[in-house]
Parts: sequence; structure tokens; C-alpha cells
Amino acid sequence: MRALKSVSFDLQAGEVHALVGENGAGKSTLIKVLTGAVQADAGTILLDGETITGNSPQHSRSLGIAAVYQQPAIFPHLTVAENIALVNEPGRAAARVDWKTRLNTARELLKAVGAEIDPSREAGTLSMPEQQLVEIAKALGANVRVLILDEPTASLTEVETERLLGIVARLRGQGAGIIYISHRLDELSRIADRITVLRDGESVATRAAAETTSKQLISLMVGREMASVFPKRSVALGAPVLKVDRLVCGSADLQSATFEVRAGEILGIAGLVGSGRTQLAETLFGITPPDSGSVSVNGTAIYIKNPQQAIEAGLAYVPEDRRRHGIVGDLPVRANTTLAILDKLGNTTLLDQAAERTLASDWVTRLGIKTDGIDAPANSLSGGNQQKVAIARWLATNPKVLILDEPTQGIDVGAKAECHRIMCDLAERGLAIVMISSELAEVLGMSDRIAVMRKGEMVATIDRADATPDLILSHALGHGGPA
Amino acid sequence: MLVENRAGSERALALVIALEILIFAFTGPNFLSTGNAFEIVRLGVELGLLALALSPIIVTGGIDLSVGSMMGLCAVVFGFLWRDLHVPIVFAGLAALATGVAGGALNALLITRFGGAPLIVTLGTYSLFRGIAEGLTRGVENFSQFPPAFLYIGQGYLGGIIPAQALVFVVFAAFFWLLLHRSIYGRALRAIGFAAAGNGDARWAGIPVARRLALSYTLSGFTAAAASLIYVAHLGQARSDAGTGYELLAITAVVLGGASIAGGRGSIWGTLLGLTAIVVLQNGLRVSALPVELAGILTSAILVVTIAISQLRFTPAPEAEEDQMKNSQLAVLSAVIIAGSLIVAGSNWWLVRSIRPAPATGSAAAAPIRHTIAVMPKAKGDPYFVSTRLGAEAAAKELGQDLIWDGPADLDPARQNEVVEAWITRGVDTIAVAVINAPGISTVLRKARAKGIKVLTWDADAQPDARDFFVNQATPQGIGETLADEANRILGGSGDFAIITGALTAANQNEWIRYIKARIADKYPKLNLITIRPSDDDRNRAFSEAQTLMKVYPKMRLIMAISAPAVPGAAEAVKQSGRQDVKVTGLSLPNMCKPYVKAGIADSVVLWNTLDLGYLVVNASRQAADGTLKAGATSMDGGRLGTIGVEGSQVVLGKPLVFTKENIDKFDF
Amino acid sequence: MKQRATAIAIFWALLLTTMALRAPSFFEFGNLRDIAVTNASALIVATGMTLVIIAGEIDVSVGSQFAVASVIAGTLVKAGLPLPLTALITLFAGACFGALNGFLVTTLGVPSIVATLAAMAFWRELLRWITQGAWVQGLPASFQWMGLSQAHGELAILAASAALFGAFAWAMRHLHCGRAVYAVGSNRESARLAGLPVPLITFSVFTLMGALTAVAAVLDSVRFSQVQSSAGAGLELKAISAVVIGGTAITGGTGGLWGTLLGASVLAVIAPALTFLGINAFWEKAIQGGIILGAIVLERVSKRGGRRAR
Repeated sequence: MRALKSVSFDLQAGEVHALVGENGAGKSTLIKVLTGAVQADAGTILLDGETITGNSPQHSRSLGIAAVYQQPAIFPHLTVAENIALVNEPGRAAARVDWKTRLNTARELLKAVGAEIDPSREAGTLSMPEQQLVEIAKALGANVRVLILDEPTASLTEVETERLLGIVARLRGQGAGIIYISHRLDELSRIADRITVLRDGESVATRAAAETTSKQLISLMVGREMASVFPKRSVALGAPVLKVDRLVCGSADLQSATFEVRAGEILGIAGLVGSGRTQLAETLFGITPPDSGSVSVNGTAIYIKNPQQAIEAGLAYVPEDRRRHGIVGDLPVRANTTLAILDKLGNTTLLDQAAERTLASDWVTRLGIKTDGIDAPANSLSGGNQQKVAIARWLATNPKVLILDEPTQGIDVGAKAECHRIMCDLAERGLAIVMISSELAEVLGMSDRIAVMRKGEMVATIDRADATPDLILSHALGHGGPA
Repeated sequence: MLVENRAGSERALALVIALEILIFAFTGPNFLSTGNAFEIVRLGVELGLLALALSPIIVTGGIDLSVGSMMGLCAVVFGFLWRDLHVPIVFAGLAALATGVAGGALNALLITRFGGAPLIVTLGTYSLFRGIAEGLTRGVENFSQFPPAFLYIGQGYLGGIIPAQALVFVVFAAFFWLLLHRSIYGRALRAIGFAAAGNGDARWAGIPVARRLALSYTLSGFTAAAASLIYVAHLGQARSDAGTGYELLAITAVVLGGASIAGGRGSIWGTLLGLTAIVVLQNGLRVSALPVELAGILTSAILVVTIAISQLRFTPAPEAEEDQMKNSQLAVLSAVIIAGSLIVAGSNWWLVRSIRPAPATGSAAAAPIRHTIAVMPKAKGDPYFVSTRLGAEAAAKELGQDLIWDGPADLDPARQNEVVEAWITRGVDTIAVAVINAPGISTVLRKARAKGIKVLTWDADAQPDARDFFVNQATPQGIGETLADEANRILGGSGDFAIITGALTAANQNEWIRYIKARIADKYPKLNLITIRPSDDDRNRAFSEAQTLMKVYPKMRLIMAISAPAVPGAAEAVKQSGRQDVKVTGLSLPNMCKPYVKAGIADSVVLWNTLDLGYLVVNASRQAADGTLKAGATSMDGGRLGTIGVEGSQVVLGKPLVFTKENIDKFDF
Repeated sequence: MKQRATAIAIFWALLLTTMALRAPSFFEFGNLRDIAVTNASALIVATGMTLVIIAGEIDVSVGSQFAVASVIAGTLVKAGLPLPLTALITLFAGACFGALNGFLVTTLGVPSIVATLAAMAFWRELLRWITQGAWVQGLPASFQWMGLSQAHGELAILAASAALFGAFAWAMRHLHCGRAVYAVGSNRESARLAGLPVPLITFSVFTLMGALTAVAAVLDSVRFSQVQSSAGAGLELKAISAVVIGGTAITGGTGGLWGTLLGASVLAVIAPALTFLGINAFWEKAIQGGIILGAIVLERVSKRGGRRAR
């Protein structure tokens, strides 16, 4: 299989060149080729008119090419300062480490990206967006001539995204060339000079950003016109299904959360990354059992100490980290679909393989999962289809409440729309849905009500009709505003 | 995907097994017989049970190093309950199984509740279980005399040919196959393993990870306990050293079968194939009378090659054409196997040449009939037996006999049985065994006699009805008393002394100690045995122990080291301490101790002449084979040793030698 | 790491108090020196093992390598080679054994526990086959203590081990290559993307392990006038236990040599301490296992305590 067929594009000094395309279009592979993490079969890369031969991560770095990957590539056991230094200090093996300079350099770089992170902290203790910021600081340290940002804002909140865009603009001013990959088309129109669209491993078109609309981009990416972005349908709401009252979990830094979700309702949960949204979901689901507070489903109080009890009570949770928690990549689609209901297949001990196949095929059809069959390993699917498998696993439990954590993060526009359609279908059928998302547009577009979290606490709940980006942000940031 | 994966490594393994069988069919007489096939099954049962138990654990990405030690612990619990507490044997067996479950649960608890890494937790319990077993028995206890109904599990044959324990194994194999491949637990274990391999966590999939892991470790403890019961029934005795070293072989079998140590991949069929490859190799080498060291060497080679191949297969290599991959893999595999078989063939040729000596001098005598004489030491690596071998080889050359010299690498009673079985299959003329464990080996020796093979024992005896003759160089009593007499002589009638033994569980040393104690209590009441320390047959350990002893017991005047490497170790410690007042004596080989005897540190070293012993064993074996030495004889022609007395069924070599400064230069072994 | 340090500190305090009360002669200089000399080679092996484990790998073949290196050194000296040259050749041979492990792990992609398990059986069986258990005897007198007096020889062994240990402890903290080992163990893929030569580092660590094992074998052999061919049995477990008790996580990326020094010293004093206390040797293995398990439990308990306090 080839991830890249034929890609040509150029990057000028002092330019932000955006790369867009659906998942699997070849963006990430292109980056890896540029940084030398993967070798190209054919073609040339020219830097300042000179061909780069024998590319490797070391080599590209020495040429001033730096990349921030989608998944932070940190060393969890080492300090932030060392994480930054390991990449940027010249790699003479016998050279002595200058710890003082390391700390100072790290402090300056972190300051430059506007991150308030103690450089002597162990990187593994940082939150996801903090790690992302360290990654960016790392890239800045290398005297970059070409900076590649692969979905840098995927886990960042709006505020942090703003700051990042500022940094990009500044670097552009200093004459660096920047390759910027994002699924958030609105960002591109603000930051990019030119945009290249990739489709199926080929470069389809390169346009000046100022002259291109989102709609045009989308049609270039998918090869057809897209309907409205958020297919939200209005559904008659039923009785409250899930009621949560002052839920606290100290070990997960969840201070307090109180809310309810009704049948057919989509409750959006907004907040900065690290505000306790995922922690709320994991506490509800029993991964980090709560210290206090009450939870009831359909009026029955439940006590959840582990995920099995949560499932028993009718909760389902599609986690944020798809690759580590959402699916088991090496298992076939079939096994992934039935993983949460193993004891309900057959006679609680032996596996009923016929029932499993029927069930899996059924879900593949119902959610429109594109796969080479139910025996294909889940990691052979595209990101969007993997996400659908993850959702299928939880729908198979026949839940009363479905919690979706960043359901469309890092998946392409087409798959995203389909996910949204599925959510609407489910709501229509009376499922109560809790949707956690960092993307304001998604929260605003899909939710019936929006709960905002800040520092582990649920600070406000806003009706769809009243919700505006400003209002949500002011709650998320703690600038007050009407409660 | 699971299916594809299986096909790859399993096909390669099947090829290896086929090649093994092909080669051994040529090199090993009677290798291809039903009897031998069932022997192979019997050999594989204990190891196989551990491999089965490890399969689900390795599939979860974990490991259990404690299974071998668990066998020791369960064996001791079983023997203790039955013999000392007079618990009915069924309940003793159940208690042993419960011990296994409890031990497995301890592993599970430490791993799931305390977050210990499986490798480290089970490394800890590996020491702990064995240590408790040794502590409970003080190393000495040897529970035996189990009722025949129980021994049938490990020694009997269903319908005359199928080993009884094979049935147990089939049940366990079927159970583990159902568990891993057909049950929701197996699916969960696989999900846990795959998730772990990808740095994920299956808890998010609603899988009760802790409970499932606990299940697999507890099952492992249970299965190890079952393996220990079969082991006890097989050998007829329960000792704390049961199952020593089995864990690594079991892991090898599982990994050879295609299981990924990172988790997720692995199958029961694979494990069974891996097990078969190992056991067939061991049996084949024995039946072919090839050096058994080759088993370890070849197993590791096959292991590395098959893993390397499956590794290459699973590493995505976008450019490589699928066919090319397969070809290159096949090339590497064939190369290694061909190399392996060349070694086998080459050494076979070399061995055949080396044991076919030039025609005996003085060709006037009628050319003697060539007999195949198989001689087994207690441990091949022990210097004492190494020198015995030299005597045996000299005799074989002089008498024109074919000598097979094989045995366990360490003191492992189970291995002795396996080797005898292989010799029976091969059809040798006489078998001479230095017995580690009399009740354990007697059954198989009787079987050899029933097949018309002359059976001798030497160094230590089996049950009298299990052998024709016992070459008695010096009884444990004789050794013990000689050592006690020496101690008395050196200490001048009174004083403190300490003993450094081999392994705490070594049966012969423990027997000597018993006689030493008895002699002292009886004749030398002023001698005081202050402590007994182990050296694990390691010179360096004996050295450290002696160093410490001298400091802790400043009044100690003598160290008695009763394992061959321990004497030079202790003597070196005394030498380095500069203490003139502490002497060393013990049981060892003259060459090792010469410098110390000459320097006056080791006052004396006790041993019979090992060269003569080896010589006599082969000589007596030949005469038993051709009928010169018959039951009821009172003497035999000992060749260069002159006339040797025979008392009843014992061929007596004579008293142990005491090497001193004066005579030690006369001996070179 | 900190929790583990607390756990070991508690153990040390208990042990030292007991020894001081029950057997004060344990602390005599001569005894401590003897314990140190005896365990110097184990510390060197544990030093290498720490590197291997920090890099996220494991090496269970060191015991067998140790035996092979010992016999090589003995045989060469017996053949008439001078000791320094012998040491060099042995060092080179050890590096080759280590490099073979490194090759299997990096180039062929065999997981290190499998590769070194195979190497463990391979070297041990090969040695058995060749020597048939025979020792190397009749070495020239200049072999023992490297031709020095006993006191100087002991000093030389201690100095060499301390120097090696110190150099590695310093390098792991203060040199780029040392930090790179941590980086590789912490996150292999990140290390690759950061431009670190991951296979080279892993390979080097195994090679160093082999070389250090050979050094340990030579330093251990020269304490005696004969070389036993069964040397180093169980050494791999001792080294791994020392590293793990010392707080280096088996998953790699964290820990350090000072912890290993603590761990190795705990293991070194157990056997003599038991003799001094008059405790029966039969319980020794159980106590060793108990210490490892105790370290795991204590670490977890103190972690919980720490969280609650926060």
C-alpha cells in the first residue's frame, strides 16, 4: 500500500503554507518524509536549491527542519528542560551536559510560547496541551528554517490556539517557512498564505489562502460539495436519564460537577483542556472512582467503582485517546465491536462466534464502517472509521447514556459529518448524549445545552439558544459573566 | 489476522519438528517407535503444563518466573501433609493445589493491587517460593514411599502403552485451548495484551483487567501445582528442588510457539508445537547418544531464528514484496537448520570415531564382543564426575567397549529418568547409574531390567531389586565416618568446626552429614559442629561463606567442605585471611586442592580414586553384559585393579583415600 | 524512585540496628572489606545491567557470559599470555558477546528478554560442552592478585570497581550519551524522531554490558589461583534484583546507578548478616524474595501515603 503517490509543492521563506486533506490523504506521511522519519521511494526534496540525500531525523534537524507531530513525542521520565535540550543540543556523545544553560534555554523557549511550565518538571506529569506546548518550544529552539506543525491545535483550547497562531505569525516575520496542517479550516484562512490540498496521496491544488473559501476547500478535499456542516436536528426531549450531583474525585482533580441529561438530549461539555472534562467522564465511567457525590440513571441511584458497573448501569464512554483506549488496533473489527459485551455473547463463558459475527456485520452496516471485512484488524481502518468502530462497541451495549470525548478529533471532514449524523440519529432514538469537545463550533453546533468546566469544576450550563462563543469562553476562562 | 499469524510461525515450527524427526530417525536407534513416542509425551508433561499455564499470561503481556519454584513448594506441602500429618493422600493433593492457587493469587495481588511489574513480582516469588520450600524441609527432607495408586499417575501406563500423565495433560491442554481461543476470558486476555503492547489499557473497553489478570496468574499457580503432583508421582518423591529451571524452558516453549512477549499474540497450538520441538530435540539427542548440551545450543538458535523471522514479518516493510520476504525467511531458516543438523551429524561422526578405539593391544586374545555400555553420573559438570569419566573412557578403550556417558547437567533426578528411558529406547547392553534419587529412578531401572538390559548402580545405590550390581566405592557411612575421623584427628580431639555443603537440598551431602553427626555423637563428643552453610557447588560462594564463618566464629578451628568446589574455595579464604589456626578438610579432587594441601592449609582431602571408580564401573558393566560377572560371584577380575571382591550384589572398590601432603602428588585427577 | 529510596532506607536502618545490637563485629573493617571485594564484580555487572534496564531492555545472559569470559581469561593466561593482554582480549570477547545480543535486539528485532534467554542457554551449554565441567588449573602464580600482594590486589580490585562505577554514574548523569540512554528508555519513538540514533544506542548498551561483564569476570578470577568453569551461576538474577531493588523501573527511562549501589549492597550483606545473626541458611532464598516483594509493597504504600498527604 502506498500512502503517498505523487506530491509536489514548494515553500518560501516567510510563508505559511497550509496542507489540508482528508485523513489518509497523505499529510502525515509527507511530513515524515520531509523530516526523514520515513524514506521516500522516488522524488527529490530540495532545500535552498540543494537536494537532500540520505535524509534522517538527525540530518533534517541539522538542516533546520523541525516538526511538531500530532502526538507529542516527549520523554515522560525526563524533565521539560531535558526534553527540549535533547533535541536541540548538538549531539556529540561525549559532550558534557550543561544543566544550567539547559534550564535557562528551556525557560526562555517556554516563555516564548507563553507557557507557564516549570522546566524542571517531569514531562510525564504534564497535561496533553502542556506537552504540545513543550513540543512547540522544542521546535523553536532549533533555529528553524522550516517548521512543520501537524495538527498543533488538535488538543489546544481557543486561547492556546490564539497564542500559537501569534507565534506562527512572528516566525513568519522572521523569515522561516512554515508548513501548517490542520483540520480546522477557519484557522487556515487566518494564518495561511497558500493552501495545498492533498487527496489520496496526491497534491490536487495549491491556492492562495485569501482567495479560497472553506466550502471550496472542502469540495477539493472530498472531491464533491458538502451539505451543511452541522446536521443538528431538533428532538423532543424526554425525561432526565442521567443525574449527577456534586461529583468529586480527588485523585483525578475533579472538584465538583452537577448536571443532568434528558433522553434525546445532547449535552455539550466545553472548557479548556485540563479543566477536568475528561476527568469527569472517567470518574462517571468508574476508571477513577469518585470520592463523593451521587449519580443516578433513570432515577435509580448507582455507585460506580469500575467500568463494569458503569456499563451495567447503562453508561457508555467513547474515550478521547482512540489509539490507546478507544480501540484495540491489533484485534479485528469484529472483536473490537463486541469487546464491551463479551459476557452477553453466548453463555457468559464460551464465546458465541456466530452471534459475534452477526452482531459485528450488523454494526458495520448500520454505521457505514468502511473496512475490508469484519476480520480486518481495526488499525487497518482510517481514523474516522476507527472512531465509528469505537462508537459501535459502545452502542452494542445498548446504553442509556453515551459519553463521547472529543468524538471528531483528528478525523477528516467527511467522517466528522458522518459522526455528527450518527449522533443526531441516536438522540432521535432517545439516547442521552454527553459530548466533550474542544472545538467551539462543534459544541455550539451540536448541543442542546452546553456545560462549561473550569479547573475541575462545572461552572455554568447554557441553553443552546443563549449560547455564544464569547459567553462560553468567558466562563471557561473565569472572567465572570452571567451565571 | 489471528489465523494468519498462527500460520506463519507454526508452519516454520512444524518444519523444524519434521527435520528433527528426520535426522533422529537416522541417528537414533528405535527413535521412530511407538514406545518412544509415548516417552516423548511423558517427558513433556510437567514442562508442558507450565508452558500451558504461561501461555495466557504471556498473551496478556505478562510473565511468570515463579512456576518452577511453585512446583517445589507444592511438592513439599504435599509430602509434608501426607507423611507427617497423615492427611489422606487425596486431601494432601488438594492442599497442594490450594497452595498453588494461593501462590498464584499472591502474584496476582502484587501485580494488580500493588502495581508491581510481573517480571519483578515473579522474580521475587521465584526466590520466595523456593525459599519457603527449602526452609520448611531444611533442605533435607525427602518425602517418598507414596502409595502405588498415586505413583500410577506419574509412572503407570493406560492399557499398557499410554503414559497415565498424558491423559492429565490432554485435559489441561483442552481446557487452556478453550480458555484462550474460545472463551470470553481468552478474548479479554488478548485485548489486554494487545492494548498493553500499544501502550493502551483495556480497562477503557470495559474489561475487568485486574480480575482477568488475577485469573491467569492464579490458574498458573494451580497448573504448576498440578505439574508438581505429576512430578512427584513420576519420581516417587517430593523434594524442595522440584521443577528447578523449568520456568525458562517453559517460557522458551511458549515464545517458540509464536507468542509475542509484548502481549496479544500467542496460541495453545503454538505452545504445543514449541514444546514438541524442544522435547523431541532433547529425546532425539539422548536416543542418538549425542551430547545433550546440543539441545540448549540448538534450542536457542531455533528460538532466535523463528522470532527474528516473525519479527521481520510483523514489521511493516512497505517496499518489500511479500514473496521475497517469504523466500528470504525460508532461506535463513533452512540455513540455520542445515547448520544445526551439520553440527549434529558432525558430532555424531566425531563421537562414533572417538568411541571406536584402536584394536585392543595384545591381539592374541579373542576380540571381545563390543557392548554398548551406558554410564550416567549424578551431574556431568561436577569435577568429581568429570574425573570419573576419564577412568571410564580409559576402561572402554582398553576393553574395546562402546561407552555412552550422559546425565543431567546439574543434580536433577527427573533428567536421570529421562536419560534412562532414552537408553532403553536406544537398546544399550548395560546401564550404570550414579543414582541421585533411589525411589525415583528404581521404577525405570526395573523396566530396563525387564527389557534384558543389565543394570548397575555406582556412587549411590537404587533399590536393590532395581539393579543387578552396585559398584560400591565407599558407602555414605564410610565417607561420613572417614570425614569425622579426619576432623577428630586434625582438631586433636576437641574443638569447633563448621560444614560447608553443596546445595542445601543435595541428597548425598545431606546423607554424609547425617553420618558425620552420628559418628561425632557416638565417638567424639568433644567435637562441636557449629553450623552448616551452603555453597551451591560454587567455589566463590564457598569462599565467602568461609570468610564470614571465620569472623563470626573466631574459635572455629576447622572447616569441613563436602562439595568438590567448596574445598578450594574454603582453603583460599583461610589462606587469604592469614589465619594459621584454621584448617580445611573435606571431600574433593586432589588436583584442585594440591596447592592448598601442600601449603598446609587443607590438612587432608578425602576421596576414593575416581579414575579407578570409572574404570571399575565400565569393567563390571562389561562383565555383567557378557555374563562373566554373575549373581553369587564372590570376586571379579578388575583388570589393572587386580581382583575385586564382590559381597552379595555389591562390587567393593575399597575405602576412601585420604590425600595428604605426603601422597597427593601421586594422584593426577 | 524516591519511594524506593525510602523503602531501602527503612530496610537499611532495620538491618544496621539489628546488626549493631546483635553482632557488632559485623562492622569490623576486615569484614566490610571482604564483603566489598567479594561483591565488587557483581556491582560491575549490576552497573551494566542498570544501563540496559534504563534503556528499556533486559539481559539475562550475563551469568553465562561471565562464565565464558572467566574461562577465556584463565585459558589465555595458562597459554602464557601476560595478564594485561589477556584482560584486553577478554574485554574484547565480552564486548563481542554483548554485541551479539545487541545485534539480535536491534537488527533482527528479537525482544531482548527472548534474545538474551537464548544467549544464556547458548553460552552456558557451549561452555559445558567444551570444558565438560573441567576447571582451568595450574595457572602461573602471577595470575592471582595480578602479581601484587594480597592487600594490594584487593585494593586494586576495589579501586578498579569504584572507578568504573563512579565513571558510569557520572557519565549517566552528565554526558550526552548517558542522557540519550535515558531518552531511549523513556520513549523509543520520541527518541527516534528527536534524531537520536536509537539502534546504535541500544546496541552500544548491550556491548557495554558484555564488556563490563568481562571486566567483572577478570576481576573476580584474579582473586583465586584457579578458574572454575561454572562461574556466574545466578548472576543475572542477582544483578537484576540489585537494579530493581535500587528503584530503577523495569520499563526503562528512570532510575540510576546510585540506587543500584544501594540495591547491590543490600543483596551483598544478606548472606553474611544471616550468618552473623545465626539465622539458618535454609531461609535465605525466602528472605531474598521477601525483600524484592517488600520493596514493591512499600513503594506502593508510600505512594498512596504521599497522594493522601497532598
